[in-house]
Amino acid sequence: MIRVVLVACLAFSLVALGLPLEAGAATIITGIVKNEAGKPLAGLALLEKGEIHNNVWDRGTVVGADGRFRIEVPTGGQYGLHVYSSGHIYSPEAVKVETGKTLEVKVLLDPEPMRANTPVIKKAGFFPYEARQGKVTFVKLDVEDPNGDLGPQILALNVATGRAYAMDPPKRIKDLKANFPNGVYQIEVDTSKAPINPRDWHFVVADHQCNTSDILSFPHEPKPQNVIKVTK
Amino acid sequence: MMPATAEDDLQALVAEGELLWTRSADPGNPVACATCHRDPAKTRGWAASFPKFKPLPPPHSRVMTLLQANAEAVERHYRLHDPLPAATAITAFLTAQGAGVPISPGISDGQPIFPARMEQLAVSVGRGGRLYANRCGQCHHASTVAPSLTAFPRVVSGRVESLEGFLERHQSLGHSLTWDGPAIGDLMAYLASQMAGRPVGLPTYRASQEAREGS
Repeated sequence: MIRVVLVACLAFSLVALGLPLEAGAATIITGIVKNEAGKPLAGLALLEKGEIHNNVWDRGTVVGADGRFRIEVPTGGQYGLHVYSSGHIYSPEAVKVETGKTLEVKVLLDPEPMRANTPVIKKAGFFPYEARQGKVTFVKLDVEDPNGDLGPQILALNVATGRAYAMDPPKRIKDLKANFPNGVYQIEVDTSKAPINPRDWHFVVADHQCNTSDILSFPHEPKPQNVIKVTK
Repeated sequence: MMPATAEDDLQALVAEGELLWTRSADPGNPVACATCHRDPAKTRGWAASFPKFKPLPPPHSRVMTLLQANAEAVERHYRLHDPLPAATAITAFLTAQGAGVPISPGISDGQPIFPARMEQLAVSVGRGGRLYANRCGQCHHASTVAPSLTAFPRVVSGRVESLEGFLERHQSLGHSLTWDGPAIGDLMAYLASQMAGRPVGLPTYRASQEAREGS
């Protein structure tokens, strides 16, 4: 009896102190992505840590063919959730998740009405930096936007590490609202512990008007951009 | 034929805003406001939630009025050299859509509340209060001016006017303000803080049934 009372007192104390009873519960952002007709859409879900549009990219994952995604984040707080699917305008949403809790979101994506001004990924490549004995690999992306209004969302995802990156522009841009140039964007990846596996890498680009490129995944061979027929 | 009344003019402005909301003014890029923000249940609370902290790429994030936020979006998405007329019409449309919703600066119904944004809004309200005291307080008591927030945008003698534009032109102490500047955002944040809980928009504001309830 005394033992039961002690356990109850301990549990009550933990609750009173605001400590989670289930220590170490994961903090998760999960969701489902669909079009207006309710069809699940595959794609990418990428997170900015902190305020949305701050361009501090953090975690990311692939959205499966069933439209579902799940991202475990190290701590609760505010994130900018961006969801992409080929042929659709991307969806940005500021979300807040509490530590140890799961946030479930529903994302609805609309097809791009036309692709004439959509950014195009012309080429992707992986280049070991010989001067540093393979410890560094440059991931490069050749990007072109027909109407010249690229923004900072030249993005890469390494699904093996779950890390999302904003790629560095060919020249330094101070103002993130400025039009970013066409050309080769790159990131420097630490490959001292493991080499890059190109199969793990996915790319997507969005411009200031929200026009969104198709997602480029392995084998990274660009194709004509998807045009989704709208049937209403 | 009956001459157009001020109410007719206002309804025409709301209708123009609804058109701009649903169709892009940029023929090269038909992505319109409603392409992404098409659910009236979500946008109905927007007018009531401004001024609020608007997240934009650094360093552009700041507290904005609804008109300022619309102008920023219209400039970026519709590529208009002068975003003010379109932004004013869209502001009138969103005000009509949200007419009657209790004013709640920084908080949109159904959206999470972000403490960092609320802190920025509180700082803006503080700045706005000091600005008001220095520029306006000698002639106008804030409690009598604040209700005018719900009367804009308006049409006077056929001329469309936003509160931001009115404040830009209004003679007051100190340097002049610009309609799209942060100082007017602060000033209106201060006035809105005194209006919390009061309904958005004058009774003359009406959006179409489709805009209010969705198609």
